[in-house]
Amino acid sequence: MPELNLAQSINQALHQAMKTDDRIVILGEDVGVNGGVFRITDGLQKAFGAERVIDTPLAELGIVGVSVGMAAYGLKPICEIQFDGFLPSVMDQVINHFGRLRQRSQGKHAAGLILRSPHGGMVHAPEHHSESPEAYFAHTPGIKVVIPSTPKDAKGLMLAAIQCPDPVVFFEPKRIYRSIKENVPDESYEVAIGKARVAREGKDATVISWGALVHTCLEAAQKLQGEGVDVEVIDLRTLSPIDIGAILTSVSKTGHAVIAQEAPKTCSLASEISALIHERALLKLQAPVRRVTGWDTRTPLFRLEKYYFPDAARIAAAVRETMSF
Amino acid sequence: MPLTKIADFKIERLEILGADGRCDEALVPVISKEKMLEIYRMLVLIRVFDEKAFKLQRQGRLGTYPQILGQEATQIVPPMCLEKKDWLIPTYRGQGSYFARGMPLVNSLLYWGGDDRGAKLPDGQNDMIFAIPVGSHLTHAVGVAMAAQYRKDSAVALTYLGDGASSKGDFYEAMNFAGVYKAPVIFFVENNQWAISVSRKTQTSAQTIAQKAIGCGLSGIQVDGNDVFAVYRAVQEAIARARRGDGASVIEAETYRLGDHTTADDSSRYRSKEEIDLWKDRDPIARFRVFLTAQNVLTEDADLEVRRAAEEKVRSAIDEYESVPEPNPLSMFELIYGEPTWNILEQRAEFERYWASGSSRRETLASAGEGRFP
Ligand SMILES: Cc1ncc(C[n+]2csc(CCOP(=O)(O)OP(=O)(O)O)c2C)c(N)n1
Ligand SMILES: [Mg+2]
Repeated sequence: MPELNLAQSINQALHQAMKTDDRIVILGEDVGVNGGVFRITDGLQKAFGAERVIDTPLAELGIVGVSVGMAAYGLKPICEIQFDGFLPSVMDQVINHFGRLRQRSQGKHAAGLILRSPHGGMVHAPEHHSESPEAYFAHTPGIKVVIPSTPKDAKGLMLAAIQCPDPVVFFEPKRIYRSIKENVPDESYEVAIGKARVAREGKDATVISWGALVHTCLEAAQKLQGEGVDVEVIDLRTLSPIDIGAILTSVSKTGHAVIAQEAPKTCSLASEISALIHERALLKLQAPVRRVTGWDTRTPLFRLEKYYFPDAARIAAAVRETMSF
Repeated sequence: MPLTKIADFKIERLEILGADGRCDEALVPVISKEKMLEIYRMLVLIRVFDEKAFKLQRQGRLGTYPQILGQEATQIVPPMCLEKKDWLIPTYRGQGSYFARGMPLVNSLLYWGGDDRGAKLPDGQNDMIFAIPVGSHLTHAVGVAMAAQYRKDSAVALTYLGDGASSKGDFYEAMNFAGVYKAPVIFFVENNQWAISVSRKTQTSAQTIAQKAIGCGLSGIQVDGNDVFAVYRAVQEAIARARRGDGASVIEAETYRLGDHTTADDSSRYRSKEEIDLWKDRDPIARFRVFLTAQNVLTEDADLEVRRAAEEKVRSAIDEYESVPEPNPLSMFELIYGEPTWNILEQRAEFERYWASGSSRRETLASAGEGRFP
C-alpha cells in the first residue's frame, strides 16, 4: 500500500477506473498533454489516448454542456473546471440542465457526469483562484456534492462518484493536494456518498467542517485538548446530501456545535447545517450553534487572505464561546 | 434554380516591418520621429519591467506573475493610439497596455504581489480593471462603447483578448452586440499561439481568428503582431472607423508568448525549444531597433541611454513597491456596498475585536499551504 497525496490518489482512481470502464471520458482545459494545471490527470492521455482525454477549447460552459450530451448518450464524462472561480459561468448547465435532466426527460436521461474543480484558498493564488462556491451547488436539486479531505477518501469518493447515477460535483481542496500523505489501498474501493467521517472523537463539543479546513479544525481540537475541552471533529465529506444522522448523533452527545467553512457566511452550507441542528436537536443543545466562516466580502488578494479564512485560533475561540455560553 | 453566390468574404493580413528591420514604405503609417522614439522607449521599458518582475517572483518577492515577454508591440502600441477620452478594457496579461495608458508600474507590482491597492487606476483614466475569468470583460467593452454612443462622446473602447479567450461564448456575444448596434469598439486579439498548454489549432478549426468578425458583420484583419507599424496602422484604422460610426473591428495580432504561461507554469511540458527559438528571431523590439537605427532616428549612444533610463525607472518602481506598508486588514470590509450593511458592520467589528485580542494572533495565523496554480 503506497503512500500517496491527494492529487496522486485522485489520479490513481481515474487511471484504475478508466482501465475497466470505457464509458469514462475526461475533458477540460489543459487536462491532456499538460496533465491538468494541478497534474490531477497526469499521464492519462498517454495511457488512454486523446479521444478519451480531451484538451478542449477554452470554454467552460461548452465543456459542461458537451458533458451533458455525452452523459445522455450513455458515457461517463468527467470534466474539469480549472479553478473554483470559473464555475459561475457554468451554472446555466448545472441548474437548468444537469440537475434536472432526469425529471425533465421523465426518466429517459440522467446526466450522470462528474464535474471536478479545485476548491478553497490559502495558496497565495491570484484573484478568483481561492473560492468556495459549494453552496451554489448544494442549493441545486438533483446533484450530489462531495469534497474529500484525505487521500484515502479522495480515491474512494471518486470511485463512488463514477458509479453514481446522479451528477456529482467533486471538489478538491487545493491547499492539501500535496501536503497530506497517507497509505492508500491499491485495490478499487468506494467511500459512500452521503456519509460523513468522524475525524476525531470527543465528548464536549462538535466541530463540523469539510475540505482543507478539516485539518485546521483538528489543529484547533489539539489546542483545546490542552485546555481540557474534548472536541469531536466531523468531516462531512459529502455536502449534498448532508449526513444528518452523523451530525445529530455527535451533537446529541456533546450539546455544542460549531461549523467551520471557508465560504462566506450568509446563505451558506453552514447556515443550512445550523438550521438542521436547531430544528432537530434543539433540546440537546446547551448553546446556540456557531458558524466560523469567511467574511461576507469578496476574497481579498493574497496578502490579506490569512485574515479572511478561518484559522485554528478563530475556530478554537468559537468553541470556547459555545462552551461558556 | 441555380446556386448563386450571395456573399463573398476575404481576410487580409498586414505586415509592414519585416523581421530583418526592412519595411514596405508604401504602408508605413505616418508617425513622427519623436513618437517613434517614444514607442521604442516604452517597448524597452516594459521588457525590462517584465524581466525584473519575473525575477522578483523567483525570489519570493512577488506572487504569480504573467510574463509579456515577446508581446511588447501588441501590449504597448494599441493603447498609444487612443485618446484620453477613450477606454481600455484589457486582460490579466495587460501590464504593458495599462502602462501605455499611464498606469504607474508600481500598481502592477502591487496587484501581482497580492495587494488590492494595485488595482486602483489613476484618477481621470477612463479604463476598467481587467477581468481574470477569461473573456468575461468583452461584453463590458461593448457596453462602454454603447454608452459612449448614447452620450455622443465619440469615445471608443479598445479591448484585448487572447487566442484562448476567442473560444468563449462571451466573445461571440460581444461581437454580435457590437455588430447589431455599430458600437465603437475594437477587439484586439493577442494571438500568442498558446492558451496555457492548448495550442491555437485546438481553439478553433477556423483558419484565422480574424474571420470570426465576419459572422457578426464586423471588419476583421490579421496583422503581424511583432510588427510595430502593422499593429499601429491596423489599430489607427479601426479607431477611425469606430469614431466615424462605421462600427466595430476585430484585429488578430499574431505574436508569441516567449515565457511560460505564468510563473506557475512549465511550458517545456507542451512545446518545443525549436518553436520558441523560431519566434525569438521575430522579436518585435529588435526589428524596430534595426529600423530606427537605419533611419538615423536612434544612435547607439541614445539606445544605451534608453536602456539605462528604463532600468532606473523600473528599479525605482520596485523600491516603491517594496516600501508600501502592508494593507490594512479592515480594508476587506470596505467598498462591498455603497453603504455597509449590518452583517458587514457586525463581521468587521467581530474581526476587529478578535484581531486586537490575541497578542499571539500573528503567529497563529495559518501559513499559506502548498499549491500550484497558473
Ligand atoms: C474562464 C476562465 N477559464 C480558465 C482560466 C484559467 N486560465 C487563465 S489564462 C488561461 C489561458 C488563456 O489563454 P489566452 O486567452 O490565449 O490568453 P493568454 O494567457 O495566452 O494571454 C486559462 C485557461 C481563466 N482565467 N478563466
Ligand atoms: Mg494565448
